[in-house]
Amino acid sequence: MLFNSLTFVVFFAIVLAGYWAIKSWQARKNLLLVASYIFYGAWNPPFALLLFATTALDFLLGAQIAAAKNPSARKAWMVASVTSNLSMLGFFKYGNFLLENFQWLLARAGVAYQPPHLDIFLPIGISFYTFHSLSYTLDVYRRVCEPTKSLRDFTLAVSFFPQLVAGPIVRAADFLPQLVTAPSLRAGQFAWGLLLMTLGMFQKIVLADTLLATSADAVFGYAGPLQTLDTWTGVLAFSGQIFFDFAGYSTCAIGAALCLGFHLKDNFRSPYAAIGFSDFWRRWHISLSTFLRDFLYIPLGGNRSGPARAAINLMIVMFIGGLWHGAAWTFVVWGLIHGIFLVIERGLTALCGDAAWTKNFVIKLLLGLGTYAVVCLAWVFFRATNFTAAAHLLGSMAGAGPKGEAILPTREILQVALVTAGLLLAHWNLRDTSIEAVVARMPRGLVIALWTLMLSAIILTQGNGNAFIYFQF
Amino acid sequence: MPSSISSFERTIPGLPWRSLALMAALLTLVATVAWEIRARTLGYTPVLNDTPDLWADWRERVKPDSIVIIGDSRALFDTDLDAMEQGLGQRPVQLALVGSCAYPILENLANDENFHGTVISSLIPLMWLAPPPAPPYQNSLKALKRYHSRNIAQRASHHLGMFLEEHLAFMKQEDLTLEQLLKRVEIPDRPSFHGPPPLPPYFQATERDRRTRMTETAAKPGPLQDRVKTGWLPLFTPPPPPSYVPPEAFAKFMGATIEQRFADTAAAVKKIQARGGKVVFVRFPVVGPLKEHEDKLTPKAGPWTRIINESGAAGIYFSDYPELIFDCPEWSHLSGTDSVEFTKRLVPHLKKALGR
Repeated sequence: MLFNSLTFVVFFAIVLAGYWAIKSWQARKNLLLVASYIFYGAWNPPFALLLFATTALDFLLGAQIAAAKNPSARKAWMVASVTSNLSMLGFFKYGNFLLENFQWLLARAGVAYQPPHLDIFLPIGISFYTFHSLSYTLDVYRRVCEPTKSLRDFTLAVSFFPQLVAGPIVRAADFLPQLVTAPSLRAGQFAWGLLLMTLGMFQKIVLADTLLATSADAVFGYAGPLQTLDTWTGVLAFSGQIFFDFAGYSTCAIGAALCLGFHLKDNFRSPYAAIGFSDFWRRWHISLSTFLRDFLYIPLGGNRSGPARAAINLMIVMFIGGLWHGAAWTFVVWGLIHGIFLVIERGLTALCGDAAWTKNFVIKLLLGLGTYAVVCLAWVFFRATNFTAAAHLLGSMAGAGPKGEAILPTREILQVALVTAGLLLAHWNLRDTSIEAVVARMPRGLVIALWTLMLSAIILTQGNGNAFIYFQF
Repeated sequence: MPSSISSFERTIPGLPWRSLALMAALLTLVATVAWEIRARTLGYTPVLNDTPDLWADWRERVKPDSIVIIGDSRALFDTDLDAMEQGLGQRPVQLALVGSCAYPILENLANDENFHGTVISSLIPLMWLAPPPAPPYQNSLKALKRYHSRNIAQRASHHLGMFLEEHLAFMKQEDLTLEQLLKRVEIPDRPSFHGPPPLPPYFQATERDRRTRMTETAAKPGPLQDRVKTGWLPLFTPPPPPSYVPPEAFAKFMGATIEQRFADTAAAVKKIQARGGKVVFVRFPVVGPLKEHEDKLTPKAGPWTRIINESGAAGIYFSDYPELIFDCPEWSHLSGTDSVEFTKRLVPHLKKALGR
């Protein structure tokens, strides 16, 4: 079920009404659990069984980790959890990719092997719920959280519908404590949740799908050479589209959870105002970057074994981070570009991190714009279907290559330019603050006007039920 | 226990949220009502959008012995389901699609092992021979994809959407969405820009069984009819070859694609015939400069005759029969009233072609 669908509007209204009408906290949790499985099963009912199997296995393994008497047994149960989760992810998401690469390697060795194409249907949101579930066993292993005795609570923590299929990746350790006692709504919490949902829908339906997607799709889907202006417009459009699409989903999820009395952490904090790549990853898909930091980078040794080892660790993390997004080498290259810039940045920071000139506003602005430019260049690999297409696009952006076509009308170019300028301006204004702080200072009339404008634009757009980009990851 | 799992609470801005929410809801309601009034003033009425979901609803209802109408918008506008039911003794399922190449639909029916019914297909050669990357072909694939893969949530949204469309005039996905309104903003393009021609505005009313009629406004001379008319010639003109493909290579590709389409069409028809089914191609009325344009690019002796000959299907070409020659108010489709009379006159020809 998509947030941006009429079905969800009705579904959410029914769930809200039932949830707040019921007195018993246990019954309310049962309702949320059933609603979450309906939310997921409405897409493809059999895969709800897979979701439950993953959850139940990690519940059992979490208990085994906690009950194990010696470190090696604890580790063995933790490895079993990691292996089972990653195997399932590997089969569904990377099965064909692994076979194709295996075939390629054999061909290099002179062995002709034609693997069967596995007709695997990717369960929606598998990368997200696998990490939701895995975070539990890893946190129990790290003794960060106690194992829960309630399978129902754990199942709800993994499948809680607002964050189930496209994040944020909410760790069981953050969510399970919220299931202990019935939440109460603070003043304004429900309405603020609705406003956040409106903002999220506006980002997805109006900004991503209506104002940016057409240009991005046209440019990335064009087979021939393009004029430099068109290519830049398409790339900027995609940089905005992916932000509004994904951040829109996270904002909706946070808002929906608030309406139900739950608190999810931010997943985005004005990422396009980042100064440098470390800053970018503290602001972009925060729940994934902290997951990879805590469960991969730090266990690998982090930066505890010197700069060289830290650089290798960073590259491993970004390699995995790229691959998490999709079973293609273009995603890996996207991750590695970020990894390389993270390593370079660390070196530069060590050299001149405390220099006075780095605090200068103009320098910070230029560094911020430079970061945004490189992030956009990396998006080319993320969105392009293959390396040849990516190379053509990058060549066109640099003004190289054959004379290309003008495929975008002026209106669309202006549309993308205005939305991109607005996006960058908004991120710079929100860079060191939060949306809550900004809204708290806003005149009431302006809050009403903006809320009305967003709702009206959503209605005017009528929505086309486009899936969120991150559903495929 | 680390602080990361201590109870985390989001900040709620300290504002009078109840009154803010009420005011925003009220103003949104006022804006929506104003927009609805404006839409009705502009001549829009609450009718269904012909979406891939609606198409999929009817594809699902095709029974093994159904009479199925496929093709482009002419088959959709020009056939009256009641008149055809009366004439043929069986209500047909309307599966024609606006702006589509119907070959993928024919292929889909041919590959449906259970289907041994009757296919009545509109055949405009320029549409039928559209290559797979072209929008007419993609329109059919989009509908088929929805038929094959829609889930429970999408079905529910479709039914809720239909309820709203039947009550709100502004819900016109092809005309009154923000995206479509923005397209109307006229800003000069670069001289080197060559975009696709604009699609015609919404000028039809669709019912739940996909019976589609031209609106009365479009059937009468006026700005809407002019807007629809002027759109046809660019839309029915094949686009120039892309600059990055050598002309010879493009011509070779198109030649091979068209040849393949002739062969595939014949194969699909024969597959249906082999199961006892029947296929009849119909060339629906077209008039004025659009008829001249189509006749020049694809004369009857060309693709039409070849498809009929190679496939072994029956063919009814409107201009061969004086009683089937009608005026099309905007050159391409019949008015709602004429579509009923046209269907009544078409039925005897269909009966003859189908051996009924």
